[in-house]
Amino acid sequence: MVLLIAGVLGIFILTTPRYDAPSPVETFNVPFVFGRFTIPTDNPLTKESIELGRRLFYDPRLSGTNQISCATCHQQALAFTDGLAGSVGVSGKPLAFNSMSLANLMWGPQRFFWDGRATSLEEQALLPIQHPDEMAQDLGLLVKELSRDETYIALFGIAFGGISNEAIAKALASFQRILISANSRYDQYLRGEISLTEEEELGRKLFMAHPDTKASLRGGNCIDCHSQFLTSGFTAQLDGFSNNGLDNDAALLAGLSEVTGKAEHRGFFKTPTLRNIAVTAPYMHDGRFNTLEEVLNHYNGGIQFSETLSPLIVEADNIDNHQGSTISLNLTEKEERAIISFLHTLTDEQFLSDIRFSDPFKEAPAK
Amino acid sequence: MLGCSEATDVAGTDTSADQPDTEVIAQSNNEKTQGIVLLSGLPTLNTKDSIAILELDPESAKFGEILYEYELPEFDAPLHHLYYSPNGRLYATGLGSQCSLAEISLVRDSTGAPAVSDVECLDTQGQVVGEDIMWHSVNGKEYMFVTFMGGTGTEQPDGGSVGVFDPQDNSVIKVIEARKSKVGENEPYIMFPHGISAYGDRMVVTSTIHPDLATGVGNALTIIDLNKMEPIENIVTEDAQPVGFPSSPVEVLFVRPSIVKNAQPAILVNTMFGFETWKVPYNESDKSFGVPEKLYDGATAGTGVPLELYGTEDELFISHALPGIVKRYSLNSLPELVSSGEDIQAEPGAHHMIFYSTASGRKLIAIQNNLLNLGNAADNDPTDVDFIAKVNHHSLTVHDLQTGERLGEINFKDKFNKGIDNIEALFGSGFVHHH
Repeated sequence: MVLLIAGVLGIFILTTPRYDAPSPVETFNVPFVFGRFTIPTDNPLTKESIELGRRLFYDPRLSGTNQISCATCHQQALAFTDGLAGSVGVSGKPLAFNSMSLANLMWGPQRFFWDGRATSLEEQALLPIQHPDEMAQDLGLLVKELSRDETYIALFGIAFGGISNEAIAKALASFQRILISANSRYDQYLRGEISLTEEEELGRKLFMAHPDTKASLRGGNCIDCHSQFLTSGFTAQLDGFSNNGLDNDAALLAGLSEVTGKAEHRGFFKTPTLRNIAVTAPYMHDGRFNTLEEVLNHYNGGIQFSETLSPLIVEADNIDNHQGSTISLNLTEKEERAIISFLHTLTDEQFLSDIRFSDPFKEAPAK
Repeated sequence: MLGCSEATDVAGTDTSADQPDTEVIAQSNNEKTQGIVLLSGLPTLNTKDSIAILELDPESAKFGEILYEYELPEFDAPLHHLYYSPNGRLYATGLGSQCSLAEISLVRDSTGAPAVSDVECLDTQGQVVGEDIMWHSVNGKEYMFVTFMGGTGTEQPDGGSVGVFDPQDNSVIKVIEARKSKVGENEPYIMFPHGISAYGDRMVVTSTIHPDLATGVGNALTIIDLNKMEPIENIVTEDAQPVGFPSSPVEVLFVRPSIVKNAQPAILVNTMFGFETWKVPYNESDKSFGVPEKLYDGATAGTGVPLELYGTEDELFISHALPGIVKRYSLNSLPELVSSGEDIQAEPGAHHMIFYSTASGRKLIAIQNNLLNLGNAADNDPTDVDFIAKVNHHSLTVHDLQTGERLGEINFKDKFNKGIDNIEALFGSGFVHHH
């Protein structure tokens, strides 16, 4: 019996593939001002996990129809959005929510989706794959399908020791973590490499300021919610969610309250990064605004009151003792244009075409 | 808020609208209890100058540990002060001529930890012995102003300059220089400038001491018209000479509405050898300065060598190197000095300070206790210039901000064989104004 067990074990050891250890990711630097980030200890960044994640991200085999990949709704040239109000997956039905931009995801609340229902990138990664309207894939079948591909067998083997649901999630998370954008004109300005135009500079100052009429301080009130606009929001968990006055009480969606069960979170959605905002139209969780001008108009007179509306929005007004019935920043047209001009400085052209983040299946074969 | 720097003001529009990102970032990071320090190698102890990041939470097991250290090149004198710009760029002034102003590039490595990637000594067009930096807007244009106590050469017995830099590319726009021996009699001069502050289109710098600490000592303020970038007036702040030297005005704060709403603008200045704090009223309507008034007399109160002025949301703190205390005053009462509590008992050399909160929410103040780090006579160090006895304790003491209770102490000489030249919170100190 002992010999039998030993024999079986011997066969197992002989037939189990042996893989090289994964290689640590090459050292990289990111801007100090982005703040601290942490990478899960059980999913360290490795060259192989990133390469694998990139391949999976662009592979339509991740969908049940083999026609939809992550990149279908997260296109690099659009800062990993898709230009649609509601993304369209395998069901052909527009989804209720706008595709979120993917950039600098190591920072900000480690809660993903507009309602924050996933608490890690690993958890997030598998949900669209299984969603019937998005990719409608059975994970068991996916593992089998990938197990017939020698490239995947090798990459998964080195990166994670084999193919599994968990390994798919980890690889996709690793690739998304490395989607770092840090070379917009505003980044260059912060590094002292360029100066902003007069209009951009006015927009920057308005962006940073909460209006204070007593101090003759005009402000766009943007920073109150978008404090970490270069990355991906507050790091303090639920601080990165708010109700920005899109709907009144009757029309208010559940939002974060769906996840937390708290009524005070009704209508709360994740405050998105503003990095590359000029290329991620349409805007808001439901893509209701087609342009940045429409977005500014919303904050400048279009706010809908509801019980959970952010108090920072309610009190932000550039007119002293404003008696009007509307909640508005009361910015001038010039100020609106300036803020939009500033927002355009957040576009990182290098990121939008960085070959490290592009479709590996379209790479030209090496000569 | 800013790091070791003045709050950015806009000439004529007194606003703090241009709030930098650093405080916002600090609030959302878990590094609020970390400090960045300039450490000086002590020649007799065979150590080298460095920039280090330290854990300063007394509740942490890593309290007092160096988390990261970057060895500096050997310059002719140590780097002296750290300052964050409004955009979060880190600068240092230096006491020598080889690197009197530097930009320090901070990055995060692939583990997320902060690291120094470069220290670039900037072209100052010959200005040496950098002291303080202030970012300030004049007629809608932002500038970086730097005081150079050695001016365009320490061989000058009455040198000193204020460098005006482009805050984006660090290039010199103008060197404001007016040596006493070169201007006419009774004409305004700039000599050994150190402290700097501004309100609207008026800037004030102090006349402290020749960098060799022997050639000369100042006793006046210089007012600069920022429209012309020229000195227009000197104001003497001197009374008794408790140690026989001129008063040596050092750090200065232009009290203004952006610091204290509705405050009557005035200059507050500490005199290093006069041991005093003075107030100079400012009439904003005709842009005139009134007669200086002595608000605090250390010689009678038992304190000496007042140095820094730092503010929080509601208090102003003034450090006194002797006997090593920090006095605290109500911010809302400025420009008058109305005590807001008991002195914080630090150590001899009490100088720079930072304010921060622990993970548990306790508010703290860390005080750097040394005047200069140019050696230590106890080690037979020939570079010792500890010209006033016992003002180099080489330590950082950490106190409860509310009670002043001492919660911890790090002695850099004992622990690291180094001295500490300056401290700044990793993301800026959370204080609203300084100098």
